[in-house]
Amino acid sequence: MRPIRRTAPALVAASVLVLAACGDDEGGSSGGGGEAADYPTDDINLYVPYAAGGPTDLAARTIASCMEEEFGQTVIVENREGASGSIGMQAMLAEDPDGYTLSIIAVPATATNPLQDEVGYTNEDYIPIAAVTEIPSVLAVGADSEFADAEAFFAEAEENPGSLNVGVPGTTTSQAMELQRMAEEYDTELTLVPFTGNAEMTTALLGGNVDAVFINSSQDVLTQIEAGDFVPLAVSTPEAVDYIDAPPLAEVGFPELTNSVSVFGLAAPAETPDDVVSTLEDTVSTCLGNPETVEQLGEQYVPDEFIGTDAFQDRIAEIVEVYGPIIEN
Amino acid sequence: MGIADGLGEGFSVALDPTNILYVFIGVLIGTVIGVLPGLGPTATIALLLPLTYELEPVTSVILLAGIYYGSMYGGTITSVLLQLPGEAASVVTTFDGYQMAKQGRAGPALGIAAVGSFIGGTLAVVGLILLAPPLADLAVEFGAQEYVALTAFGILLVTYLGTKHPVKALCMAALGLFLATIGQDAITGTGRFTFDQVELFDGLDFVAVAMGLFGVGEILYNLEKTEKAEQIKSRIKNIWPTRKDFRDSSGAIARGSVLGFFLGVLPGGGGVISSLASYGMEKRRAKDPSRFGKGAIEGVAGPETANNASSTSAFVPLLTLGIPPNVVLALIYGALLINGVQVGPQLIDTNPEIFWGVIASMFIGNLMLLALNIPLVGVFVQLLRVRAGILAAFALLITMVGVFSVNNDVFDMWVVLVFGVLGWLMKKTGFEPGPLVLAFVLGAILETNFRRAMLTSDGQFDTFFTRPLSGTIFGLMALVIVYSTVMGIRRQRSGRPPALYADQLDAAAPHETVPGSESEGTAGVAATDGGNRDGPPPAGGGSTRAEP
Repeated sequence: MRPIRRTAPALVAASVLVLAACGDDEGGSSGGGGEAADYPTDDINLYVPYAAGGPTDLAARTIASCMEEEFGQTVIVENREGASGSIGMQAMLAEDPDGYTLSIIAVPATATNPLQDEVGYTNEDYIPIAAVTEIPSVLAVGADSEFADAEAFFAEAEENPGSLNVGVPGTTTSQAMELQRMAEEYDTELTLVPFTGNAEMTTALLGGNVDAVFINSSQDVLTQIEAGDFVPLAVSTPEAVDYIDAPPLAEVGFPELTNSVSVFGLAAPAETPDDVVSTLEDTVSTCLGNPETVEQLGEQYVPDEFIGTDAFQDRIAEIVEVYGPIIEN
Repeated sequence: MGIADGLGEGFSVALDPTNILYVFIGVLIGTVIGVLPGLGPTATIALLLPLTYELEPVTSVILLAGIYYGSMYGGTITSVLLQLPGEAASVVTTFDGYQMAKQGRAGPALGIAAVGSFIGGTLAVVGLILLAPPLADLAVEFGAQEYVALTAFGILLVTYLGTKHPVKALCMAALGLFLATIGQDAITGTGRFTFDQVELFDGLDFVAVAMGLFGVGEILYNLEKTEKAEQIKSRIKNIWPTRKDFRDSSGAIARGSVLGFFLGVLPGGGGVISSLASYGMEKRRAKDPSRFGKGAIEGVAGPETANNASSTSAFVPLLTLGIPPNVVLALIYGALLINGVQVGPQLIDTNPEIFWGVIASMFIGNLMLLALNIPLVGVFVQLLRVRAGILAAFALLITMVGVFSVNNDVFDMWVVLVFGVLGWLMKKTGFEPGPLVLAFVLGAILETNFRRAMLTSDGQFDTFFTRPLSGTIFGLMALVIVYSTVMGIRRQRSGRPPALYADQLDAAAPHETVPGSESEGTAGVAATDGGNRDGPPPAGGGSTRAEP
């Protein structure tokens, strides 16, 4: 399969070049080789592989409206949800790699999906362009929990392995895998209870039906923390963050558990010309310097330091390395 | 948020020009499809579901709810004038409503039905306002065990209530549960029955399944029928009931409101059951029960009030627990999910505009229906002249375009067609799609919660019985099973049909054939098979089984 996969897009790219050379007036095909200085000369399609209204959708629509202004071209956002994001990825890869079809990716999920199932793409089929938002996970308990801090919580977990129920957003999410590593590498065993989405987990924690949740710290969760209904015990980032008053997991005994951070960013098919990729990278960078865009995205979620193609690529490689063995088990 | 604040916000949402327009479109469509036999509220809502994708979540619920309770009004018109129930819940109205029409009192029959529906609908909205917020507060405490108990109870009731053949319904519920397992396992993420097709990773799309079974299945089934819409012979005059009519029906309307409200909340309840129960109650209470079936106005007022009240109260479990109690509400649940709204105990807090907006729109919608129905009865009846073939072609076109638009996925169109053929075959063989679809929706909730309960309790089954709430619900289920088994055996001994309510149908209609006692969604098509409506009952028609 692999050789065929690799040649097919190349053939497509070649035929595009031929068509372009023949004076084909289709705007989308003008991006061959050195002409990328003109890019973009046509509408750009941006797929969101998740449902409308979610955090990925918000990131997509916000960055799309800024790109429209920068490029002077329409950016059409289309939700192609399903199969944990694989459907949208396939939709992007089915189009020409000319920079006119892009997709939002949600790492780690985008990188771990192909490790787990035959989902119609591999991690070599796409190239990450830039991160737009970065949402850490937070381990939180309810307001009336007996655990006041991370030490107390993990002490109980070590004493009675599996006695604490922790809600996670799904089995194959970074949150679940991080807690699995906690059991395997640090002998701290929690019982994972998979839910679908933040709303369900919030209800479960408020109703006292789980002891804690390990949850994406999106706006709704921050609101619960602010209201005092959730008490944060630890965050998943390598360093502390200023908007959640809790230490990183790395500082409470789990130095390696720093990967459960969702990064939403832009990606293109792997064969997209380099100059197109760097044009897009620069544009995202410009947009993330735009105060209005940053406010819409949520200031706390915009990475302090810009994550471009190379840094994003490294992040994906690291995730594949860390989670690969867990998934294969 | 208090009730006053909530209603304030609700009306500010509902009075938004867009929403006023959609509540009007909703009740108008509802009335129209209520009049047209064959297209019931379920089929219509299933067909229109994808179109709501483009609307705000609150607007889509306002529209779909309008269709639902609007159809309860519309169904009355043909029941009374032609003895042809436009949708299933109006079957009961044919008993006395048509008799009244024959006596030249069609006007008051329609008038009292509209007034009763208005009162029932409005009172049920008030009940919804009072009951839902405290219930939602309570529901936050519900854990996986309680959801298991509630969904299992729901599936049980759906297979018993409002179905002609519990065994067939049980088969369909089992098939629905099986179909719900297709896709990625919610707990371990393993693919099940996906055959490595990425399209199946998330399971079958509920919208596509429902549209196929109800929409396309219904269309195909109706195409086989040769319907002749009769011309209305007499003019309808004096639509406003007399003072005596009001006096006679006031009790029936009051009782129908309360009864309809509580039956609507029950899983598997809803229109048909509540109108039947109300008819039974009125007949039992009457000083002279023999008047029933010969044009007793209470026999029109009570059931029409009850079915409208139940169509409103059915929103209680959906908006507070995230559990749809009947198929129509399952479709509305689907509409909310398409729009990315999480339905559950948090809904009233996180999306107050949906909860209160829909409630406020129901007040407005009921007023509109009252205004629409009384003067425009004659116009609506003319709709029966529309040829079924034309309607079917349009409906099918909307279906296919619609389902594609939800996910932009051709695969879903095939799902619709396959389930359309399946739905048609099921209807022909007497299997109802209702239990299948509801079990399909509830099955996913049931399974994930069952497994969550097992995870948190270390695999101890007694967790279901030791928690007070889930224990109580399971106790109730045991009672229902024991009761219905005992009754079933006793009935079998006396040679009567085993289904709950079937006996009531028999008792309720000694003089007329009962054209169809199907649950929501099968939409009274059975009523159209008999050609000779005034004559003796067509052989084999209706729910009455052949006596041994």
